[in-house]
Order: sequence, then structure tokens, then C-alpha cells
Amino acid sequence: MGRQFLSGQAHDFLFINHALASTPRNVLFESLNASAPLETAPYPDHRLFAHAIRHFIHRLITALIVFIILCAPVHAVETLRVLAWPGYADGDLAKEFEKRHNVHVEVSIVGSDEALQRKIGANQGGDFDVFAVNTAELQHYIDDNLVVPLQLSNIPNTLNQLPRFRNLHGIPGITRQNKVFAIPYTYSEMGLIYDRKQFDAAPTSLAVMWDARYQGRVLAFDTSSHNFSIASLLLGGSPFHIDEKEFGKAVEKLIALRRNVLTFYTLPEESVELFREHSVAVLFANYGRQQFKQLRDAGADVGYVIPSEGALAWLDCWAVSRGAKNQRLAENWINYMLDTSVSRELTLRQGLSNTIEPDPLANNADKIIWLEPVEDSKRRTVLWSRIISGDLPEKLLLP
Amino acid sequence: MKSSIGLRLAMLLAVFGILASGLTGYYSYSSSRAMLLAAAERDLLTATRVLSRNMLVSLGAIGKDAKLLAVLPRTTKILMGPNSATAEDDTKVVATVFKAMLSTHPEYFQIRLISADMHGLELVRVDRDENVLTRVLAGDLQEKAHYPYVFESLRLKRGEIHLSKIAINHEVGAHSGLNKPTLRIASPVIADDGKPLGLIVINIDLDSLFALLKADLPAVYKLYLTNELGDFLIHPDPREAFGFERGRRTLVQDAFEPVSAVIEGKHETIVMNIDAARKQQNRLIAAFVRLPLGDTAAKRSVIIGLSQPLENIVLEATRLGRYILHVVLVFSGLALILAAMVSRAVTRPLNEMVKAIKNFSKEKVISKLPLGRNDEIGLLAHSFHDMQMEIMTHLSELKESRLILEHTAKHDPLTGLPNRTLFYDRLQQAIIQAKRDKTSLALMLIDLDEFKPINDTLGHHIGDLLLKEAANRMCDCVRESDTVARLGGDEFVVLLPLIDGQRDAMMVAEKIRLAIKQSFNIENQYLITSASIGIAVYPEHGCDETQLSVSADNAMYLAKRGGRNRVHLCQN
Repeated sequence: MGRQFLSGQAHDFLFINHALASTPRNVLFESLNASAPLETAPYPDHRLFAHAIRHFIHRLITALIVFIILCAPVHAVETLRVLAWPGYADGDLAKEFEKRHNVHVEVSIVGSDEALQRKIGANQGGDFDVFAVNTAELQHYIDDNLVVPLQLSNIPNTLNQLPRFRNLHGIPGITRQNKVFAIPYTYSEMGLIYDRKQFDAAPTSLAVMWDARYQGRVLAFDTSSHNFSIASLLLGGSPFHIDEKEFGKAVEKLIALRRNVLTFYTLPEESVELFREHSVAVLFANYGRQQFKQLRDAGADVGYVIPSEGALAWLDCWAVSRGAKNQRLAENWINYMLDTSVSRELTLRQGLSNTIEPDPLANNADKIIWLEPVEDSKRRTVLWSRIISGDLPEKLLLP
Repeated sequence: MKSSIGLRLAMLLAVFGILASGLTGYYSYSSSRAMLLAAAERDLLTATRVLSRNMLVSLGAIGKDAKLLAVLPRTTKILMGPNSATAEDDTKVVATVFKAMLSTHPEYFQIRLISADMHGLELVRVDRDENVLTRVLAGDLQEKAHYPYVFESLRLKRGEIHLSKIAINHEVGAHSGLNKPTLRIASPVIADDGKPLGLIVINIDLDSLFALLKADLPAVYKLYLTNELGDFLIHPDPREAFGFERGRRTLVQDAFEPVSAVIEGKHETIVMNIDAARKQQNRLIAAFVRLPLGDTAAKRSVIIGLSQPLENIVLEATRLGRYILHVVLVFSGLALILAAMVSRAVTRPLNEMVKAIKNFSKEKVISKLPLGRNDEIGLLAHSFHDMQMEIMTHLSELKESRLILEHTAKHDPLTGLPNRTLFYDRLQQAIIQAKRDKTSLALMLIDLDEFKPINDTLGHHIGDLLLKEAANRMCDCVRESDTVARLGGDEFVVLLPLIDGQRDAMMVAEKIRLAIKQSFNIENQYLITSASIGIAVYPEHGCDETQLSVSADNAMYLAKRGGRNRVHLCQN
């Protein structure tokens, strides 16, 4: 969910860059089409008509020039096919890589985990060389043998990564049988945002969301998976593997949460609005630091903490597909993405944390819990929809 | 040259005619198209306004229903004592009222009474489930305090209405509204002390509501509804609606860029032509109206839009355009014909005149000119005609004077007889003729005797008259084909071509001698003179004019010597 919002946000941004990057071809095609309106529908007045003609000629010339330029380079240049999330491989950054390695980079954009699975799975990974995927999803790709182990020596920039990301064995799902299948690129954790006026000291635990003193002033996020994970964490269990006999307790915990919150929000804008109008004390920041920034920009006097239980976080990595034509080139791409300058751009443009430069607000000791596949997401979804609909505990806990 | 001026004129006229009709056609087409578009846009905007007004009216009516239920004494009673002895009876009564209301409003799918306490527990709830109205019983009632429509409504005063955000209904329960776009309309139940006790919530199935509202609109109108941020809630393509529910926002301002002005609050309504947005596919006109919901403090609004394919509208314009095209073609054809005719009308008289000028300069013939015209060409023709006449006059004068000159050069001015030059010319011709035809001719030299004394005594005037009269008499004595000429002074000469013999010549000479011998009456004076005549005959006395002349001269001399007044034939 959090990822999808980020994608949505980033998408607008990327669209601009993408449009710039692909302008030549667009112009070419558009100009070919541009003759159509002149034939089929005369413009309402001659000023428009003249404008259209001028525009058409202008485009034609541009298209011709661009066509000549496009035709000029040698065709035999090697192509690197990148599948990335919006904002991960902007046109100018891809251009720079093309220059450095004298190759052609073809960036395709993907907007959801499902689309990613479809695209990589389509041709046994043969359609793409390198792609970005989160750690939880990565497991499917390793299982289906769609990714190949990486040669870390080919990616020297991994040495510049923050300690947390250098210890690849400490990140669940990235390695299997001592082979490294992906390199972390960006992440976002879900901490707590609190109103500094209502707290003398920053809350330290997720339990604050259940604190009756803040009843009606807590904002939680409308999500099945993360909410069960939090509940399980608080109950001392594993966030991603709730035992059969523990489910009842988790449901009870979430009903208690439901009775304590003001509401469950979905969009970050919604959280800002609710925060302002209902004097919210604390909220679960599904959108992480971006959301924190958004609230601060809206004038709220807020703080951001990573709870002692740890913050759930998604972690996007680069992986090389089974069908990569040139694994070395794909690894060069990963190395390039980890260049300080490139990773910094990601943070500047998208507001996402990178793995090279420490976030000034983050503490190295913060406990980050990288997302993993949960034991039974369907079960969590069904139960959550009943919890949020307001089913009574007696009814919910029936066997 | 001739064809070029005509062709150029024709082309100029034709181009002008075609251009004029073409431009007129184009402008009338484009202006009528613009008018049609403007009218369609106006209609669409009006329809959208009416639709949003109707929606407001509908929402108002639903709000009244909610308020009505909220002020029922029994609802308050239930909320005051949900566990009291009469609670079950009251609940049943209220549920019956809910059912009655649901049965008359197909767009309502749920009516509930929710408590402000007990985490927003529902106390009375009637659901529409597949057209069956079901009262939900105690164990299945749910806690709703965490839903905005509950906590927002509980902040309201008595009689106020809360309109929820429009969202997909995910609340699990036995109702047909599950996973459908829903609007919740709520009104608080307030105790006499002002404490909120609970609320009445009516859930509206947005699709049914708009199906009712849209029923009167033409089928080609497509309906859009967005929230205040522009997220599509209703879209002709259902996949485009509620994008945010699937993590992918679909915004009206992306599809209809100008609507962003409405979203930003710059305009309340907007009508646009997506022609201008350069979308080749699905060209349409669309109108959007912002509709503020509830009281202004809530800041909640929706944007209602209608669109209509441009094709329907421009179809009319296209038909008109085709008709105009026909008219333009016909007029262009007419322009061509007219151009040809005008060109001919102008060039024909010019051509006529050119022909006339050529005729005139070549053959001095005056041809017909277009004199009947009153225009410039007529003027030109008249001028040319006058010039022709003047030239002709000059020419004839010239000819006349030349003839006179010619005559003078060859004739004796006194007697009018041929002079020496002409005579010798004729003599030459006659000799050549006689030589070829082997015929004879005679040359006669005649000298008037004693003329000098007459001239000296009576004066030149009398002498001249005498010479004239003598010439006349000589002429009377000869055939018409013969030539009498005056060589000068009193010397005459006669050529007799085609004579049979010397005798013929003698006879003529004798005739002349006798005629001269007759007295002359000159100004009442009788004068006497005579003629000495010498004759030479070809070929006997000479083969050429010189020999003949010499022979004749000798003969004449002999005649003089022989005593004058006699004829002497050359004896050689």
C-alpha cells in the first residue's frame, strides 16, 4: 500500500523526466499524426488554422532533425533493458550511464508488484536484464529461478553502502544458500508521527496507539498485513508469522486498536486533514518520512520516531534477471545506481532514503524490520475487513 | 499573344471566382461549425447544471429523510435506554419505519441508528439485500465509531446533515451496497441537554442515484463524477473510477486538463472542447460543474461532468460542409464558364480589330469593325475606323496627283496629245509588235506650213489655239488605234500600226492634209494653213524607230521642198 502511494507520487515526477527522455520519438509520431486534424476537421477559425499549420511545420522540421539524429548513431550498440519503479531510473541518469558504458539503456516502468511479476515472468526473464524488486517479493523470483546470483566484486559501490545494507545476510530474503540475489537500493520505514504539543517526551512504543489516554486521537492505517504484524510484534511474536493459536489474540488486539483510534486512513492527504481537524496525538506513518514531511509542511508541530519494537520497512533492491544478455553490464548498472551522486538524486527527487548516505533524522540503532512474506495474507485480509467493518469480538472470535 | 491575353484574363477571373466562392464556403462552414459547437457546449453545460441541481435537490430530500428519522421520539428513546424493557419494541417500530423508507427509495440500501456510546454500536439496522429488506439482529450489529461519518456527524448540531465522502463501501455485512460506490448521509440525534446520543445514517447507492438523475438525459451524454481532488468516482469506463482504491489515482484533470481550474476553485463551471486538447481519439465536448455539498465549513464538494462525442455535433457541421462544398464546386464551375465567356467577350472584338488592321495594312480593305459598342473597345474601333478613312482619302489624293503627274510627263500640255516620250515608247512597241506579226506600220511626220508667221503676227495665243484645232482635226482623221502626237512647235507625228500597205498610209495622210487645208476659225479670224507630210513605212523604210524617223523626216523635208501642202512617201 505504502509503496503504491509512493509510486503514484513518483509517477508524476517520473512522467516529466520520462517524457523528456522520450521526446524525440514522441515528436516523430505525433507529427506524423498531426496531419490528420487538418484533413478531417478544419479548425474553427483561421487563427487556429494558421497556428496549426505553423505548429505542424515546426513539428515536421523538428521531427526531421530528430529523425536524422536518431538515424545517425550506429545500430550495433548493446542495449541494457531496465525494468524499474517510477523515479528509479530517470532519463538523465540513464543517459549518463549510456555515456559511461557506450550502451543504449531502455527503461521500462512498472507500477505494481503484480505487473512486475507479469513482466519478468513473461519470457523466463528474457525481456529484461535488470529490475527493481522489494525483498518480500524477491522470494518468488528466487523460488521460480528468475534471478541469478550476483558477483559482488563487480559492484564495488556496495562497499560504500551504510553498514546496515552491507551486511546482506542480516537482511532476510536477499541471500539464499550464501548466494546474493539482490542489492538494496532504497527503503522506507513506517515509524510513528506524534504531536509534540500532546507529548512531553516522544512515545517509544507502538503501544501508544492502544493507550486509552489518546482514545479517539490515534490514526492507524487501513491495511491488513501491517496491522497484524504490529499486533503480533506487540504481543511478542514474529510480525510475519503468526501462529494459529495466536491469531485470536492478534484479532483481539486489533479490535482494541479499532476502539482506540479516531479512524483508519488510506491516503497521506487524508491523514494530514484528520490530524489537523481532530487534534490527533499520534499516527502510524505508513508512508514514512515522506508523510512526516508532508505534515510538517502543513504546519503541524510533529515528531517522528522509530518505535522500540522496530519499524516495518520495505526495501527495494536491484536484481539481475535469468534472461540477462550481459550480466556484467547489468551489474555495472547496479553499481552505477549506488554511485553517491545517483543515489542522492533519488533522495532529492523522490524523498526516498538511499543506502549510501545516512538519513540525518535516522539513528543507526533504530530497529528496522524488513518486510517479508506473511504466513497467510488472504486470511489476514478477510479478518481485517471484518475487524474494520466493526464486527463484535464475540462474533469475530467464533471458531 | 492573342491566346495568352485571353488565357491570362480567363485564368485570373477563374482563380478569383474560385477563391471567392471557396473562401466564402470555408468561412460559412467554419462559422456554422463553431456556432453548432457553441450551441452544443451551451446545451451540455445547461444539462450539467440541471443535473447538479437535481442532485442537490435529491440530496436535500435524503437529508430531510435522515433528519425526520433523527427526530422520531422513539429513536431518542432507544438511544437513551438501549437496555430498557421497551427497547425491543421500539427497535421493531423504528426498523419498520426504516423498511418503509427503504421500500420507497430504491437508491437507499441501508438505514441505521448508531449509538454515540458503545464504540458506535449499531442499534437498529435495516439492509437491502438483493431486493429483500433485512433487519440485522443484535449479534450481527457492528461498531462504527471509527468511521468518519459517525464521528463527524456527532459533532453536528440537531437538524444538521453530514454528507460523507463518496467511497467504495467495504463494510462487511448483509447488504447489496458492498463494494459499491456509496454516499452516506447522516444526521445526529441530540438529547435535550445538547448531548449527542447517536445518529441516523442513510447509505445511498451512488449508481442507482445517478441512474435516476440521468434518466432524462440523452443516451449519448456520458456522466462523470469526481471528488474535490479530482479522483473519478463515476466514469463511463468503470475501470477509471475509484483508482485510489487500487493505489493508482485516476484524476479528472489528467483526462480533462481544463478542469484543474475548477478543482483549484478558479471557476465554478467549465466547458471544454477536447478537440483543442489534441486528442485524436474520443474527441468530445465536456462540461463540468462544481457542486458544494453540505455546509460551506465542511468544504466538501463534488464535480459533476457530462461529455458528448464531438462526432455527433460535427456530423451536422460535416453535412453542412459537404453541402457547402457542392455549392462551392458549382460556383467554381460557373466562375470558370463566366471567366471563359468574359475573356471571349473581351478578346473577340480585339481579335476582330486585329484582323481588320491586318486586312487593311495588307490589302487596304476596310473590314467590319465593332463600331456598335459604346465602351472603350467601341471607342478604339471608332478611332481606328476614322484613321482608316483618313488614310484612304490621303491615298486616293496621292494616286490622283500621281496620275496627273504621269499624264503630264507623257502628254503635250497644249493639245493633250502624247508627247515625244510617249510616242516613241508606243512606236517602239508597235515596231516590236509588227516585227513579230510581220505586219506593216506607218510613221507620219506632219509639219504645219507657214505657222511661224501666224504665231508672230497674231500672237502665241492664237497660235496655240490653231495648234489645238489642227491636233483635233488630225485626230479625227485617224483610227482609234492610231496615235497622234505633238513633237514640239508645229511638228506632229502620227503612228498607224497594222496597215495593209503604203496606200493606206497615203490615204490617211491625204485625209489629214485636206483637213488641215480647211480654214480655221480662231476667235472669229479665218486662218489658212497647210501641212507637209512625210511618210515612212515599216519595214520598207526602216527596221527600227530611228531609221523610220530619219526616213519620215527625209520624206517630210522632201514634201516641204516640193512646195508644201503635200504628202511625200519615202522613196527609199
